Amino acid sequence: MMLVVSVLTGLALYFAHRNVATTAERDLRENFQAEISSLHKVQALRHAALTERCRELVLKPRLHAALEDNALDLLYLTAKDELRDLMEGAAPGKREGANSLQARFYRFLSSSGAIIPPPNPTEVGQLSREAEAQLALKRLPDTQQIGYVLETADTADGTMNEVMALPILSTETGEVISALVVGFRPFEVVDKGEGIGLKSGIWVNGRLHLPSLPKSAQRKIEENIAQRLSKADGAQNSFNVAVNGMPQLLFYKPLNPGSLFPPAYEICVYPLANSIAQQRRLSWQIGGAGALFLLLGFVASHFIAARLSVPVEKLAVDSEENRTQRRKAEAALASTSEELERSARYSADASHQLKSPVTVLRTGLESLLNREDFKSEVYHELSALLHQTYRLTGVIDDLLLLSRMDAGHVEIDSKPVNLSELIEEWLDDFGALPDSPDVKMEKDFPPELYVAGEKRYTSLIVQNVLENARKYNRPGGRMCVKAESEAGDIVLRIGNTGRPIAQDAQKYIFERFHRGGTRSSVSGHGLGLNLARELARLHGGGLCLVRSGDDWTEFEVRFRALHPVPADAAEVA
Amino acid sequence: MALRVLVSVSAICILFPIAVLADAIVEGRVNLPKSHAPPPVMAKRYEIVTNGGVLATKPPLAVVYLDGSFPTPTFHPTKQVAQKDLAFLPPLLPVQVGTTVEFPNLDNIYHNIFSYSPTKRFDLGRYRPEERPIPSVLFDVPGLVTLRCDIHEHMRGLILVLNTPYFVITDEGGRFRLSGLPSGHYTLKAWIDSKTTREQPVELKSGAALRTDFP
Repeated sequence: MMLVVSVLTGLALYFAHRNVATTAERDLRENFQAEISSLHKVQALRHAALTERCRELVLKPRLHAALEDNALDLLYLTAKDELRDLMEGAAPGKREGANSLQARFYRFLSSSGAIIPPPNPTEVGQLSREAEAQLALKRLPDTQQIGYVLETADTADGTMNEVMALPILSTETGEVISALVVGFRPFEVVDKGEGIGLKSGIWVNGRLHLPSLPKSAQRKIEENIAQRLSKADGAQNSFNVAVNGMPQLLFYKPLNPGSLFPPAYEICVYPLANSIAQQRRLSWQIGGAGALFLLLGFVASHFIAARLSVPVEKLAVDSEENRTQRRKAEAALASTSEELERSARYSADASHQLKSPVTVLRTGLESLLNREDFKSEVYHELSALLHQTYRLTGVIDDLLLLSRMDAGHVEIDSKPVNLSELIEEWLDDFGALPDSPDVKMEKDFPPELYVAGEKRYTSLIVQNVLENARKYNRPGGRMCVKAESEAGDIVLRIGNTGRPIAQDAQKYIFERFHRGGTRSSVSGHGLGLNLARELARLHGGGLCLVRSGDDWTEFEVRFRALHPVPADAAEVA
Repeated sequence: MALRVLVSVSAICILFPIAVLADAIVEGRVNLPKSHAPPPVMAKRYEIVTNGGVLATKPPLAVVYLDGSFPTPTFHPTKQVAQKDLAFLPPLLPVQVGTTVEFPNLDNIYHNIFSYSPTKRFDLGRYRPEERPIPSVLFDVPGLVTLRCDIHEHMRGLILVLNTPYFVITDEGGRFRLSGLPSGHYTLKAWIDSKTTREQPVELKSGAALRTDFP
């Protein structure tokens, strides 16, 4: 139980932690995307402003005149005047403000895309030879082109320049005759100390320019990005990278797709340290809460289990005792069953063995009775002996039936039996017997009472009970036979006057070979009641002594009622 | 117009001695290019149009002139190219070397006429119609000068500076007539556009009219 609770708690903690981690990561990414999105909006605005500014410049008639009228010597001279506004503030030695719209340098491209060399480079923004070479294009552009050029000559980290190349179209021919290439300081995220920690830089020609990161970190990111770009299609993406052991979320996005300049990528780095620390703190909190919960659960379950286990333990002890007793009872039952079976077999065998000699004896006695040369006393003795053989046969039949019942060999073929008719027949038979005492007969039962049973066994029950009432009646007494339907059963009550059964003997009257009061004057062998009860039970009913006292003994036989199917209904069926 | 008549009369007076000696006439027809495909929208309104980087007038006109070495005139005529309705008028002006051209502003706005042509570079700066004296430039080197306005980038004008006093602009049908020419062997040239100049050798005889066409 504790294990299950522990596992469930562990699973709940795991899912809670995972959910929190997922939410935190999603929030982080959304936050990051929002930062970048706002950054891009500002960049887009700035680009639009720069483009508009440069577009005005390339329409200047003097520039066109210099290019179209073969006056290249006047080109930079004219441009110096025309682009003065653009270049103001970019004077050598004076560092322009971050994110300003002032240009750092400009150049014109010839019809082949090469740089038209300026006569005085200081007036057009000085560039190293390498940086200037990067401004040249394979051909003149038809549309505005954006590029990025890293100038490494001036500082250790170098200076990144955003370059905008605008075609100059001849007003005479409409053809592109030149291009104005203007370099600006690229837009940079200004860390206002608000703790967002977002750093942006530019990757171009395999070099990353992100001066706020140490050199080693820049080299590492350069490698990572180079690998990524070689695999991916160059679309924007993000991945995690460790910088100086600190995890960072890195986002890259192409800055100048389709440009004639080398492809450049914007690189944004967002430190994950705070987020991870927050996640770790949350993990600890969740873990702590879980452990506390588990501990409380353990304590509570311990107490509850202790209280619950008392009756269970008692039950276990009782159960053990019961099991022992049951084993004993089962052993005794088995032994009794074996004994009973043996006894039943013995009874059956004995009955069969006895029947033959009794028959022989009866036959012998009857043949002796048929002789006429005996004295009259002899006939009387022979009659008495013959009567005993009949009695012996009755005992043997009863024993045989009982032993079959004990062995479970008696099966009842239940059919509706008219109980009233059976009672009437037996009463008639008893009335004809020579030794019937002079008793007053009271009958109270309807003419047709049907019970479920096999007729010969039902008849035997009725016979035995009636026989019993007749035999133990006193002369001048009365006998009452009453039958009625009661709660779905048919109840037959037979009462008789006479000496009651002693109180202590009442519980033995249904045992075999028990004869109430053992009065020798009453014929019988002590099997009738036992046989009647066993048969009544076999029919789903029962036999019991209702009362015995004050000159009245009454038995009750209970049968299951079963009405016969009417003949016409059966025919219909 | 009065000014133009005055200039013409002055020229005739100056050339009179030569004309008396040489009154040859040459006339003919220059086969002008057919009207070009629609020019760029920007230049549509103006009479100087470009096609494939070639400056020409529209409708096409040619300048026919007699090439040769002629004595430099002692008198430097003055001609005018006005700015009117944001265009140069006339759009094409042939002048002899040494001619001063005035650029009166007949519009009610500023103009800034300049040229970066190697023949003559100048920049008159911005000026209003009432600017006096009228800004002018002396054209002392033969060649083609493209006139531009720094304020109205679409304005174009051409000044063809020639070494000869004998020149004329054809009519729209290309017909021309030059009279008062000296006799002798010369080359008659027809400037058609900034890239096309045709020429024919001619032998002029005094008092005779020569028929020369430029196919």
